[in-house]
Amino acid sequence: MLQSTPLNYRRIIIWIGRLVLAGIFIYAGYAKITMGRSPRPPLGVALGFFEMQVSSYQILSREASRFVAHTLPFAEIALGLLLLIGWQLRVWATLITLIIGGFFASVVRAYSMGLQINCGCFAKPEPLDGMTVLRDGALLLLAVLMTVFVYLEARKPHPWSAAETPSSPLQG
Amino acid sequence: MNRRLPIVSAKLLTLFVCGTLLLAASPDQKSQTSSSAAKKTAAPKAAEAPTVSTASITVNGVADIDPTKAFGSKTAPVVVEIYSDFQCPACKQLFLNTTQKVMDSYVNTGKVYLVHRDFPLPMHAYSRVAASYSRAAAHIGKCEPVEQALFQNQEKWEANGDVKGTVASVLSPAEMKKVQAIVDAKTLEPMIERDKQLGLTVPVTQTPTSVFHSKGQTYPYAGTLSYDVLKDFLDQLVAQK
Repeated sequence: MLQSTPLNYRRIIIWIGRLVLAGIFIYAGYAKITMGRSPRPPLGVALGFFEMQVSSYQILSREASRFVAHTLPFAEIALGLLLLIGWQLRVWATLITLIIGGFFASVVRAYSMGLQINCGCFAKPEPLDGMTVLRDGALLLLAVLMTVFVYLEARKPHPWSAAETPSSPLQG
Repeated sequence: MNRRLPIVSAKLLTLFVCGTLLLAASPDQKSQTSSSAAKKTAAPKAAEAPTVSTASITVNGVADIDPTKAFGSKTAPVVVEIYSDFQCPACKQLFLNTTQKVMDSYVNTGKVYLVHRDFPLPMHAYSRVAASYSRAAAHIGKCEPVEQALFQNQEKWEANGDVKGTVASVLSPAEMKKVQAIVDAKTLEPMIERDKQLGLTVPVTQTPTSVFHSKGQTYPYAGTLSYDVLKDFLDQLVAQK
C-alpha cells in the first residue's frame, strides 16, 4: 500500500503560508485594479491612483514608480495563483518572500521617516502606522518560514518514489 | 382713638409695602438701562463688520462649497477638494509645491474645479485662528495672498501665535480692518465647522487629504502629492468619457 505523505509541522506551515499569502496577494492585486468598487473605475484611473501611492514612499523615480504601478497588481495575482497551485513551489515562494521583504523594508523606512502616507496595500485607504509595520512583519516571517521549509522538504524523497517493502501485496 | 389706630396702621403698612416694591423694581430698571447702554455702545462695532454671505453652492454633485474658497470653472469635469490645516507641514508642502502648479495647468484651463476645505487639527494651537483669518480674507476676495502668506510663514506664526500679523503683512490697513471685523463677529465659524464635519464623513484621518470627484466616483487620497505624479492621475480623470 502506498504510504501517504507525512504530516509534520513544516508541512503545516507550508500549507498555511501558501493559503494565507496566496489569498492576500490575489486580493491585493484585485483590489488595486478595481479599487474595491463595482463597477470598477477605468484601469488607467486605478493604476494612476496606485502610482500616486507608490511614489508617496519617495523611494523610486517617477519612471520606476510608473513601472511598478502598472505591473505589480497583475504580478501579485499571478504569483498568488502559482503559489496556490503549487507548481515550482520553491521558485514562487522565494519570489513572494523577496517581494514581501521589499514591502516591509519600504514600510519600515516610511514609518521611521514619519511620512504621512497611505499604505497602498489594498483598496481601502489605510494610514501607514505601527500596526502596518507589525502586520507586514508577521507576513514576512510567515513567508520566510514557508520558503525555508519548502526547500527543506524538497530535499527529502517523496514517499511514493521510495522502494516498495517486501511485504507489499503488489509484489509477486 | 381706638378707631384711628387700625386705620393709621393699615396706611403705614400699605406705604411700607409699596416702598418695598419700588425698591425691588429699581435694580431691574438699572440693569435694563445699562444693557441698553451696552447695546448702544456695541451697535457701532457690529455695524463695522462687512456683510458676508454664508451661502454655499453645489458643483458636480459636491455640496456645501464656499464659493470664495473655490477656484475654476463650475463646468470642469473634475472636482478636487483639499482638506488642509494651516499649521500642518505636509499641507504647506502640498500648497507650495503642487497646488500652485495645478492652479496654472488645470484650474485656469477649466479642467479642474479646486475647493479648499479647512480641517484644523486639535493638536495645532493656532490652526483654527489661521482658518478664521483665511476664511475672512476669502470673503473680501483676498484668499490666495493670505493663504500664501500663512503657508510660507508657517514656522514663524506657529512659534509666536501671531497669525494676525502674518495676515496683516499682505493686506492693506482697510482690508485688514474688514477681515478683523469678520473674524471678531465669528460669522464664518459655522462654515469652518461645516468643512470639518464634511471631512469626517470622507473620512479625513490626516492632512492633507485630497478628494477627487469625477464621473460620479470619489477617490480620497491622504498625504502630500508631487505634481508630476498627480498630473498623470488628473489626466486620466479628465480623459474619462
